[in-house]
Amino acid sequence: MALKDYRRDMETCRRCSPCKFMPLEKVTGFDRINVCPSISRYDFHSYSAGGRMVMGTALLEKRLDYTDKLLEVIYNCQMCGACDTSCKYSMDMEVFESLDEIRISCVEAGHTNPALDKVIKSLRKQGTMVPGAKIKRGDWAAGLNLKDCSAEKVEVLFHVGCQTSYNKNMWKVARATAKILKKAGVDFGIGGENESCCGGRAYHMGYKQDFLDQSKKNLVLIKKSGAKTLVTGCADGYNTFKVLYDKFGLKGKLEVLHITEYFARLIKEGKLKPKKAVNMTVTYHDPCYLGRQGEPYIHWKGKEVLGDLRTFEPPKLYRRGMYGVYEPPRDVLKSIPGLKIVEMDRIKEYAWCCGAGGGVIESNPEFAMWTANERIDEAGSTGAEAIATACPWCELMLGQSVKSKGSNLAVYDIVELLEKAV
Amino acid sequence: MALKRDFYKGLEDILGPEFVSDDPVITETYANPVRAGLPTGARFEAITLPKNTEEVQAIVRLCNKHKVQYKASSTGWLYSDPAGPNCIKIDLRRMNHIIEINEKSMYAVVEPYVIGAQLQAECMKRGLNCNLTGAGSNCSALPLAAHVNLGHLSQSGSYGERNQLALEWVTGDGEIVRLGSLGSIDEWFCGDGPGPSLRGIIRGNTMPLGGLGVYTKAAQKLYHWPGPATFPMEGVSPKYKPAYIPPGFLVRYFSFKTLDLMIDAVLKIGEAEIATELMCFNAAMMASNLATQNMEEEIEIYNKFKDSVLGPGFMVLIAADSARDFEYKKRVLQLIVDETGGKALEEVEDPENQGGYVWRYFRETGSIKETGRVLAPQAGMVGGGDSFPLMSYFIKSCSKVKAKLIADGSLFDDGTSPFIQSIEHGHTGHGEVLARISIRVKDPRQVQRVINNASNEIAIKEFFGVPQHVWSDTLHDMYGPNASNYHLWLRKIKKTFDPNNASEASTYITAKE
Amino acid sequence: MIEKRKLVSIVSAGNVISEPSALEQYAGDMSFVNKVKPDYVVKPRKTDDIAKLIKLARETSTPLVPVSSGAPHFRGDTVPGVGGAVVVDLSGMKYIIRADRLNRVAMFEPGVTFDELIPAVTREKLRLNMPLLPRKTKSVAASMLEREPVLMPKYHWDIADPLNCVEIIYGSGEMFRTGAAAGPGSLEEQWAAGGAQVEAAGPSSASWYRIIQGSQGTMGIVTWASARCELLPSLEEPFLVGSSQLDRLMELVHWLVRLRIPNECLILNNCNLAAIMAEKWPQDYKAIKESLPTWILFYNLAGYDYLPEERISSQVEDIKDIAQRAGVEPAHTLGGVSAFELLKVVQAASAEPYWKLRAKGACHDTFFISNFQKVGELTDTMSGAADKAGYPVPDMGIYIQPIVQGANFHCEFNLFYDPENARETGRVRALATGTINSLMARGAFFSRPYGEISRTIMNKDAATVMALNKVKMILDPDKIMNPGKLCF
Repeated sequence: MALKDYRRDMETCRRCSPCKFMPLEKVTGFDRINVCPSISRYDFHSYSAGGRMVMGTALLEKRLDYTDKLLEVIYNCQMCGACDTSCKYSMDMEVFESLDEIRISCVEAGHTNPALDKVIKSLRKQGTMVPGAKIKRGDWAAGLNLKDCSAEKVEVLFHVGCQTSYNKNMWKVARATAKILKKAGVDFGIGGENESCCGGRAYHMGYKQDFLDQSKKNLVLIKKSGAKTLVTGCADGYNTFKVLYDKFGLKGKLEVLHITEYFARLIKEGKLKPKKAVNMTVTYHDPCYLGRQGEPYIHWKGKEVLGDLRTFEPPKLYRRGMYGVYEPPRDVLKSIPGLKIVEMDRIKEYAWCCGAGGGVIESNPEFAMWTANERIDEAGSTGAEAIATACPWCELMLGQSVKSKGSNLAVYDIVELLEKAV
Repeated sequence: MALKRDFYKGLEDILGPEFVSDDPVITETYANPVRAGLPTGARFEAITLPKNTEEVQAIVRLCNKHKVQYKASSTGWLYSDPAGPNCIKIDLRRMNHIIEINEKSMYAVVEPYVIGAQLQAECMKRGLNCNLTGAGSNCSALPLAAHVNLGHLSQSGSYGERNQLALEWVTGDGEIVRLGSLGSIDEWFCGDGPGPSLRGIIRGNTMPLGGLGVYTKAAQKLYHWPGPATFPMEGVSPKYKPAYIPPGFLVRYFSFKTLDLMIDAVLKIGEAEIATELMCFNAAMMASNLATQNMEEEIEIYNKFKDSVLGPGFMVLIAADSARDFEYKKRVLQLIVDETGGKALEEVEDPENQGGYVWRYFRETGSIKETGRVLAPQAGMVGGGDSFPLMSYFIKSCSKVKAKLIADGSLFDDGTSPFIQSIEHGHTGHGEVLARISIRVKDPRQVQRVINNASNEIAIKEFFGVPQHVWSDTLHDMYGPNASNYHLWLRKIKKTFDPNNASEASTYITAKE
Repeated sequence: MIEKRKLVSIVSAGNVISEPSALEQYAGDMSFVNKVKPDYVVKPRKTDDIAKLIKLARETSTPLVPVSSGAPHFRGDTVPGVGGAVVVDLSGMKYIIRADRLNRVAMFEPGVTFDELIPAVTREKLRLNMPLLPRKTKSVAASMLEREPVLMPKYHWDIADPLNCVEIIYGSGEMFRTGAAAGPGSLEEQWAAGGAQVEAAGPSSASWYRIIQGSQGTMGIVTWASARCELLPSLEEPFLVGSSQLDRLMELVHWLVRLRIPNECLILNNCNLAAIMAEKWPQDYKAIKESLPTWILFYNLAGYDYLPEERISSQVEDIKDIAQRAGVEPAHTLGGVSAFELLKVVQAASAEPYWKLRAKGACHDTFFISNFQKVGELTDTMSGAADKAGYPVPDMGIYIQPIVQGANFHCEFNLFYDPENARETGRVRALATGTINSLMARGAFFSRPYGEISRTIMNKDAATVMALNKVKMILDPDKIMNPGKLCF
């Protein structure tokens, strides 16, 4: 597929603007109805999904070129996919995939963002999306005595991810995950130095080939491990293994679970029993790539029917955000004695992004922080003492916001809270 | 034609460089927001993003000084976007505040970029509701933003021309006029006077569509809302389901053997004052509102509905104020339907479907599905106002054209059943021909032209009034001589309040001699 | 000066009045505006006459003052503002063009009074949304053109109601029909197609009727109007609610109107209700007034074609709950007043003599609109001002009318006085002009300024005045229409 293959989708845009707002049925007041950080921050219609659909068409029609301004607009977007979900309340068009393709077309045409080039350089050199890392990928597991799945067979492969591996502040999450898995008696292992970036963030920045290159490395490790199930605590990784690998026919029969899904399953099966009270009021931030973008990929092959309306043979099914992962993280939180959940205004399929996605954290940190600040304000308004999430990128971004704002909110990964309870 | 730098610098001085752009990447997205089946249009010379009335006024005055045109829009769905050369866009997106909701006097004051869903949600927390434009709650809540501002609530909640109270208007040449009580005592409750009402100038049953300056704030009437503060919708988009149907709420769809029987039922329901909403949707529109998965599902539902209805029909929604009120209204509805031979569409009564319909009709989230869901370009004709029967007959006449276009393959076959609506409990009515042009058609504009030509001929020759799709010099000049020469007066308004022709008026009327 | 023969050639000799004594009757009214005698009074019989009169007036730069109602006039708007004027008396144009049950609308010429129109619409099982007890001679069209408040707020969707369409000859000499009446087609052709001239707005992107309304004849001369009518109820049950506290009744009114339960719904003080109901003066007036609490809410429930008894009984029960919350109790009689009697009275024009003149022979009305929250304070302000001016506050009539479905409240203070008593007259005049600023400062909007106070009110809003003058130049470029009124 290429940008030209999405022309009909992009042309379907009616400029009706729901891509800017949460699904209208769910609006309960004046505040916080926006879902798109980009249009919310930059205001020109161009910064909305609708605007970008116009740009995509204009690029195809050669009415726009890959100018610096175009790149600036295209890349000031976290690729959070909220626009896609809100649009698809009504419409039959692939918004999110079109956005991906516009970025891919930019890269393929040689028009890239220097900040993102730096990240990709690191990916190509070190296999990580965290440039300048001085540590090794498996250092976090020191002393835990975990199975190396590149050397021995395991039931479950725990893919840790770049941010958790290369950011020492995140090691606690990985270590807590490993401890809980052990406690539940799970036969799991890690890739350690042989783990490599999933490639998903590169894909959503437009570097499709780098994504494919990374996928090959990971598929080797997965095959070698013999794992039937891959778990990860990184929402980006989750989306990549579950959705992108599937989209490109790479996933096979591998079961991909987010760690919260896996823990929720273990709790349900009685293999994990949170007993210790964690007396805390917590609000939960849905990571975009676990929530709405965590919806399984739908394989569809067919063609448009030459009829009066745009229909397909066989009928096309759309990923509308309906089957994202919303409940398992909440189920884990609910299983913790003493913990009270309060919800923010924008949750689940219309959750506001943390700001870190789509390369924005690297290309425009100020915008990433602006986006995170909005979320922290929203979390603060719930009266919660802490904001819990299920992705290291979200935890990083929200943590930075809390620090810069001087907020009293604590930021946790759900796994950290579960660890306290088990 | 590039803008002169001193003009552009002037815009930057007013707004700050961050809120003005003449980059083609920015201007392109305003020029061609909808592409399917349409040729590309010209770009605005620049896009501006004012944050308040003073900035709007400054832009307007600068445009007048430099002989540059401007076109303002709020949420900006379609018709306010045509750009000519030497024209800038005033995007009112940053003017997004609710100024006041007065619960006891039942009015709300908003800026242009408050959307309908926001205002309605805030109203509902206070036991009130607002008329939303039929285009949907994604559109501006300003009663002056939509072309007409008729909505699903118009049966009991009227429409923009009549809900309007005080407002603030930056005239074409940059004067700020604050209509009614706002100008005299800085209050929003009345838009008329002292003396003659300037409300008569700033809009009619249709809007000048950005051709007569900029409306920057406006008050509108609100209506009682007997439902919960927040509607109990659960689930995940797009399959939201109600946890329960609020007590006193009911939706039904009835179809009739003939249009005259339907008209009879509509008028009786209006006179009995029992319906909160009454919209003569056709079966295709009912199906659009229900389908969540894809067009194929919608067609399947439509085919089922099509086979279940007798002929023309309507959706009627009751939202009663008390249990007694509900019982009374239900009984009267049944009596009227029995008298007129209405047949209920059973699927609508299914509790899950019904709850979804209730909320979607109040929140007006189905309009996009009804009109724009598929690539097929929307076509149609927007009728006028006056009596409900007149509008029904007008649409019936125009539907013959639609039937021909369906037969020759130009339009999707949605049964041609008319779409009409009753306003203020049947005191007036409005109708539209809605159609989806077949994607096999090479030049959709030609199909639209056929509909336009036929409906204009019908409207004039069969005395159905001035339809609401009449905008532009060409159409006004066609209708005006048949309707009290109104076009000459309209042109004088334009000339008087926009002497430099600065407010771009291709979808209103220009000051040409 | 216009030549009489030219007027005669248009309307015939019998319809041109030039006798000084007859002209004197048009030279002033019961308001405090200065007397200015017109040169002539003409009585046109048809639209064509009016078009010719306007043409002649333009040619001769003669001011025209349109008058539709018969005397007595109260507000100064029909008194020439300048010398040399010709009064165009339309009170003889009494043709009721149409009453249409299906579309709930009536169409009639400007000379038609309420007592003339009511039987015509009643025959069609329709009714008018009446102002409060208009005088016998009051033109229905004029009442609507003056945006006079009406008694049924639930049917008062917009401040312009119940006016639908009009035909007007503008000061420019051109004939125009507003709203749906504009065309295409003649009225007859529109009727045949199913049209009914019920859509007031338009045509297209202007609503001309709004500019004509409230203009006091300064834009042109209306030759017919159509009025929105309501169904004639098949059953009615009226109620009275008394209280010494206005806020309690206001609370009840808010909910009654918000839920759109009653038809007629208004608040009067004991002075006004007694003035309306008294037959023998002054004994009846005194007795009724003393029997009543300070404030009285009157409302009327109605049923129509379907299950009228059930409708009213369900509304009665619902209102009980609301009234309890407001701490008041509805009843069919209050003091010496029967709700059923009052209902009969307010559904017609005032009996003679006109109710506002019964107490003392003259009355000046101070009125404005405001919103729910301000009514109480404004009532206190007016009472305080009256007291300060030496006007006996207990004798001041007060009428509070919810309009625009509760978004606005018309507040009217009726200052009864003896016109033969110079001191009393002077006191009322001073009170009427002296309170404007303090009332405006507290949220009174004088949307319909008449007579002496017009300038004070218009001067508060220079931008509107400028815009109105631009509109005036479009419709009446030679400024022949009723010069000297409002800001023109």
